[in-house]
Amino acid sequence: MPVDLSVAVGGLRLANPVLTASGTFGYGLDLLDLCPPEAVGGVVTKGLSPLPRAGNPPPRIVETAAGMINAIGLQNVGVDAFCRDSLPQLRQRRVVVVVNVFGETMDAYEQVIRRCEAEEGIAAYELNVSCPNVSAGGMEFGHDPQQLQRLTARCREATDKPIWVKLSPNAPDLLATARAAVAGGADALSLINTIRAVAIDAERRRPVLPRVFGGLSGPAIKPIALRMVLEVHRALPEVPLVGIGGIETGRDAVEFLLAGASAVQVGTATFRDPSAPLRIIRELEAFCAAQGLGAVGELVGGLVWP
Amino acid sequence: MIARRDMRVRLAARRELSPTCFLLELVTEARFEAQPGQFGMLACRPGRDPFLRRPYSLAAVAARDDGTACELLVKEVGTGSRALREAAVGGELQLLAPLGRGFDLAAPKGGRAALVAGGIGLPPLLFAAERLAAAGRPFDLFLGAATAAELLLVERCQRAVAAVGGELVLATDDGSRGERGVITEPLARRVAAGGAYTTVLACGPTPMLAALTRLAQSSRLDLQLSLEEPMACGVGVCLGCVVERADGRRVPTCQEGPVFRANELAERWWECPST
Repeated sequence: MPVDLSVAVGGLRLANPVLTASGTFGYGLDLLDLCPPEAVGGVVTKGLSPLPRAGNPPPRIVETAAGMINAIGLQNVGVDAFCRDSLPQLRQRRVVVVVNVFGETMDAYEQVIRRCEAEEGIAAYELNVSCPNVSAGGMEFGHDPQQLQRLTARCREATDKPIWVKLSPNAPDLLATARAAVAGGADALSLINTIRAVAIDAERRRPVLPRVFGGLSGPAIKPIALRMVLEVHRALPEVPLVGIGGIETGRDAVEFLLAGASAVQVGTATFRDPSAPLRIIRELEAFCAAQGLGAVGELVGGLVWP
Repeated sequence: MIARRDMRVRLAARRELSPTCFLLELVTEARFEAQPGQFGMLACRPGRDPFLRRPYSLAAVAARDDGTACELLVKEVGTGSRALREAAVGGELQLLAPLGRGFDLAAPKGGRAALVAGGIGLPPLLFAAERLAAAGRPFDLFLGAATAAELLLVERCQRAVAAVGGELVLATDDGSRGERGVITEPLARRVAAGGAYTTVLACGPTPMLAALTRLAQSSRLDLQLSLEEPMACGVGVCLGCVVERADGRRVPTCQEGPVFRANELAERWWECPST
């Protein structure tokens, strides 16, 4: 019996619950041969700001045990170039596009959304309030519940499309920020972004990254991401969640769905295996079939609490 | 552009070249072509240690009856290269290739090319040398290393150069073989003597490439550099491996390179400044 892989999440119906995470899949068109964007549940773009950003000077990445630390610094082409150079082809391919929005000020977030509102082919917005690698914006909104609620409400007024807020695992009070985003009008919460981390070069007695701190991703963070999804789901069971953090296999995706996520994003796994999102969709389908499930949605929040 | 593939490859042979360097011969049933200067992302061992694939410049790619053989040159420096040292001959690895932009070998029209390799920067130049030799195009090869023991595959380089009546120039830091000093010195002398080369293809340590960049800026050589940067994905999506272009944009080395013309890059590209 075929498995129904479609899911509803935060105002969207997706053909399957596997999206590509922001910052790991470019603007959706870099891996057409290895992972066609129309085959995944959706593509979350690289974080877009009103103007292009050069990002941080290299080195920007460090390998760690079962993961990596990055300090890219939100290098991006700017929202105009995205709308001009990438969106038409994404639209033609009928890709579900979630625009990841970044700004140094609340005005800048709103500006990105208003620019996108002039275009066809964008399904939803994901607010990046959790990037640990920039000096202004980002995390300061994600860590302060009052600011986050105001920012979300500002963006809410700028669009009728679904707004997802990507939560920071580095916030002092995760549940407070989750509630603030929902109070501001978020349709779903994505979690988690990278965890603030450091790598040190023992011989040189120096941090490996020039900015000292970066964000840890990969399987190393999966148990923490699962814990956070579970906590938010138990506190806010009605709020749709998009689970992110070290997902490399269909079984990993299942674990996030059981913890309460309605969909998942695959990020760092794509660096190791550019076809990983496709493989994860196949493995997820095979898991459901082996379990005799008619629909993948039956897994969502299905964790048996002891 | 040549189509890239993520291939199962068999480790057919490993040949020790020096105390720290070895050559891997990989064989795949897939048919693929590559240009000198292109690279592959190699999963050095199954599992998560090391976590990321490693970029390796292709040293040779040749069609066989049953698929394709390719060669990589490896210097043991860390987890990935150590895993390759330990990998069982006959076992399988995963290789995503060919990636990036290679050398423009059509460039030395009517002129003579100088190929400059420093240390473990040899693979793309070896690949280019053997392609130029097969095409009967004249070139000289400049090979530099710290010591005689670290001059790799000298006889094979000699054969390629001899096929087109070119010259193999050697230099070592300690003078144990060839000229004592850096390999850019004998090249600079020939350039200063006038009109020796139209094109220079190079790969090696950053100070060597920086010296060549300055030489090209003062002598109008068509200098093509193969750069190496730490990278996670090799396909332009992680943005870990950026280099600064002349127009100030930071571009992924894996996608717009790894071969760049020196005049495409920021004047002092090796010192990517902070914003």
